[in-house]
Amino acid sequence: MSLVAQDAPGKTILLMGNEAIARGALEAGVKVCAAYPGNPSSEIIGSLSSAAEAMDLHVEWSVNEKVAMEVVAAASFAGLRGLCSMKQNGLNVAADFLLNLNLSGTQGGLVVVVADDPGGISSTNEEDSRIFAKIGDLPLLEPATFQEAKDMTKWAFSLSEDLGLPVMVRSVTRVSHARGNVRLDKLPRPIAQARFDISRPRLAFPPFPSHKTLHQKLERAKIFAESSPYNFYRGPEKPELLLITSGSGWMYSLEAVINLGVQDRVGLLKLGTTWPLPANLVLEHLKQAETIVFVEEVDPFLENNVKELFAQHCMDLGLKRFYGKASGTIPSAGEITPEIVTSALQKMLNVRYQPRPEDYASKAHEAASELVPARALGFCAGCPHRATYWAVKTALALDGREGFVLGDIGCYGLGMGPSGFYQMKTIHAMGSGAGLAAGFGQLGRFGLTQPVLAVCGDSTFYHAAMPALVNARYNGSHFVLLLLDNSATAMTGFQPHPGTGRTATGKEAPVLDLKVICESLGAIVQLTDPFDLAATTDAMLKFLQDSEGVKVLILKRECALVRSKKQKKLFEVEVDQERCLGETCGCNRLCTRVFKCPGLYWDRTTGKACIDEAICTGCGVCAEICPASAIQKEVA
Amino acid sequence: MNRGLKGLESKVLDRGQCAACGACLSLCPYLRSWRGRAVKLHDCDLSEGRCFSFCPRSEVDLDALHRSVFGKGYEDIETGPVRRVVMAKAPALEFRDKAQNGGVVSALMAMAIDEGRIQAAILTERDAELLPQGRIAETKEEVLTCAGSSYVTGYTLEALNRGPWQGEERIGVVGLPCQVLALARMKASPLEKRTPVDRVDLVVGLFCTWALDYRPFAGFLKKRFGNTPIHKLDITPPPDRLLHVTVGNEVHQIPLDEIRGFIRPSCQVCLDMTSELSDLSVGTVEGEDGWNTVIVRTERGEDLLRQAESKGVLETRAYPEDKWAHLKAASILKKQRGLKALKDVQDKYVTLPQKAIDSLMKEVAP
Repeated sequence: MSLVAQDAPGKTILLMGNEAIARGALEAGVKVCAAYPGNPSSEIIGSLSSAAEAMDLHVEWSVNEKVAMEVVAAASFAGLRGLCSMKQNGLNVAADFLLNLNLSGTQGGLVVVVADDPGGISSTNEEDSRIFAKIGDLPLLEPATFQEAKDMTKWAFSLSEDLGLPVMVRSVTRVSHARGNVRLDKLPRPIAQARFDISRPRLAFPPFPSHKTLHQKLERAKIFAESSPYNFYRGPEKPELLLITSGSGWMYSLEAVINLGVQDRVGLLKLGTTWPLPANLVLEHLKQAETIVFVEEVDPFLENNVKELFAQHCMDLGLKRFYGKASGTIPSAGEITPEIVTSALQKMLNVRYQPRPEDYASKAHEAASELVPARALGFCAGCPHRATYWAVKTALALDGREGFVLGDIGCYGLGMGPSGFYQMKTIHAMGSGAGLAAGFGQLGRFGLTQPVLAVCGDSTFYHAAMPALVNARYNGSHFVLLLLDNSATAMTGFQPHPGTGRTATGKEAPVLDLKVICESLGAIVQLTDPFDLAATTDAMLKFLQDSEGVKVLILKRECALVRSKKQKKLFEVEVDQERCLGETCGCNRLCTRVFKCPGLYWDRTTGKACIDEAICTGCGVCAEICPASAIQKEVA
Repeated sequence: MNRGLKGLESKVLDRGQCAACGACLSLCPYLRSWRGRAVKLHDCDLSEGRCFSFCPRSEVDLDALHRSVFGKGYEDIETGPVRRVVMAKAPALEFRDKAQNGGVVSALMAMAIDEGRIQAAILTERDAELLPQGRIAETKEEVLTCAGSSYVTGYTLEALNRGPWQGEERIGVVGLPCQVLALARMKASPLEKRTPVDRVDLVVGLFCTWALDYRPFAGFLKKRFGNTPIHKLDITPPPDRLLHVTVGNEVHQIPLDEIRGFIRPSCQVCLDMTSELSDLSVGTVEGEDGWNTVIVRTERGEDLLRQAESKGVLETRAYPEDKWAHLKAASILKKQRGLKALKDVQDKYVTLPQKAIDSLMKEVAP
């Protein structure tokens, strides 16, 4: 049974932030949910899909975030409640639609959950999505606790319906991915009746009146913000220092204040509705303090908006000192931690605080270095991408014209590092590898003689690489697209996609065949198994030699993690210790020093390579590269 | 200084000094050749390796090498050790048909296999796109598929390293001066070899003035003749200075100056026109179409030539004095050019005793 669909009002359960958001949506009677996977947001749709059948929902993995938002907007236009979720990059993709949807307005409650990834732990970028709320004149809610994650999501639906606007809920990694107690409310089971009222067309155009209407709605949103229970103050009436925070900053700030024992000196203004600001509440507290500190993750959004508000009212408020990201008090990039807040407050309040012995960090590092094996960010044992990049490296070196690989978003993005032998030379947004290739492929007339390759995963192909391929064909570009088909959206947790033959809720779906699509676009397509290194290298070299047109090499091999859940090893692999050349001329540890699959290790005492039985997935690729045929594979 | 792949890279590969002999290939997974280039695929950090040790351009002490092959140092400065020099040709048409000149090399190798002197010959074969590569020939028919030249070096010695070998074969090698030099390096190397180089019993060297780099030359020919197969390439001796290209039934003439740009840079520092470290060397005879020059250097070479003469495999004639003087002068001229090119190179690819350098530079070219 679905964890988030328990019909147990009043019960307190442990939920991940993303599960709490999903629960909030269910408690609000959501009917349509859509997303494209992206950490740290993926578990929202993951949880809702598990509740889909029981709660009679439509839940889908859409091909990209813009389509996801459109699917959910359709539900809203038809009077149903809908939720779409995404990571910060996803909002960039969906932004074009969102910044028109705000003008056309919504009917059924429409909630856009964006989970930001401070520090870019599982992203190519670090970005604050909150700015989109300001650009789009949209209400923005920032839950700070797991309970709030549920409750505010639920509230967001009714707020959306009250205003006729999409409502943004902004989470961050430590809210989405941490777990806490959540008290459940009632689980309604509304009977849905979808109908699009054709007498009320949803038109963004003409923008002049609709933009004006939007501003009126935002004015009304301010009223809701002023009375929201998610904005509150805790501290003395006239604090020495006023700390204004939102989202994850709240817990960090609370912890810092308690640890320092400065509850009677510091006032905490915690805001849950950060756009539009509850202006009266903020002004009231600004009046009481001369020194103000902002604690928030990623950009100084709150900080700048409060300063803007202060500027408007400075004649009444008098002189203030503001500390935050602008002053350097709080780092301008990377995740915030309780330590960062503690250390900032310590300096400002001149409090001595020693949470742990001074040499704790160095001792911990020392202890960890003995116990924890050093491990670089890299591909799993048996990952087809390692084999792919080995072939890429070989093919580009043999070709010898400084060919290069344009990267894309997915596990194979690690091709920029040691695990992919540093072959990938760019990484930006979904589909950008193929897009850049379409551009590089036009530069021959300006003297570019280097072969152009792009990588792209199966899921990424459907998401955003297809338009780039269409563009390349239409405008006559020349490049080779390596389509790494591992039959999963692997990096975000193996979500299905249009090539996998099943939907988010596990139902059968038609397979949209990559080869057929690419061929129908007029590309020359070839299929290869990346585990067959020689054939893959040859196929790449053949494509590279003929510089004309768009060629797609589909490297088909299931993700090693997906495979290992379904079946046993392909091969039993072992190293013949007699034959292993080890460090001598003729090998010099090719498998453990260069190929570096984690399934292999170097035995210092014997000077030979060995298979790590616990890690090896039996792909057998190392047997192909061993120059002494010492690594032997037998069908398992 | 690194005497492994790193050294090879910085001193030879990165400086365009690879002679394309093939001695470093199929020894390890780090180096591979493709379309006429030896390519480093991965970094290797060994301080000493066979690639460097075997290379004819890494660190060659010609005096020591001559000592290891002939038991005496670099003394015969004009054309290397000479026991006998003759004009020769193979009377059998099957050899002369495909051959560059008199078919001597093919006839000798076929005979060596027939007579059981060797069981396998390392030769150079060209594919339909003229890409040369080393191959193992074990029959006369296989020897014949390798007849002729494309003036492109082709990693011949890779075939020796690659095999496959049964383990007992006696092996003969036909190579260009750089390849014959590399073979001597391979034999003399103190490193553990794990190659059958010690079973190489016969070394037939070819004369060479320079060789071409495959990729640009093949590109040039393709641009000129499209995909039509090229049957034969032949360079006519001075004063013509023409490359004859046989395409279909037509022979096209290309001035040599048009292809000089494709000469491998490593040929500029070469001090050997006549494959001095061989048992027996074979080249053209200026002004005598259909004949070869044969220089016998070792007892083994002499033995082979005598057998060929007695069996009628080769027809020989005394070598005209004026042509011999001319050949020696051409050889010295190549050495002088090579020494000049080496003069400003800090860490020399090839070293000679100072005495030999002085004598060579004193010689006046005719």
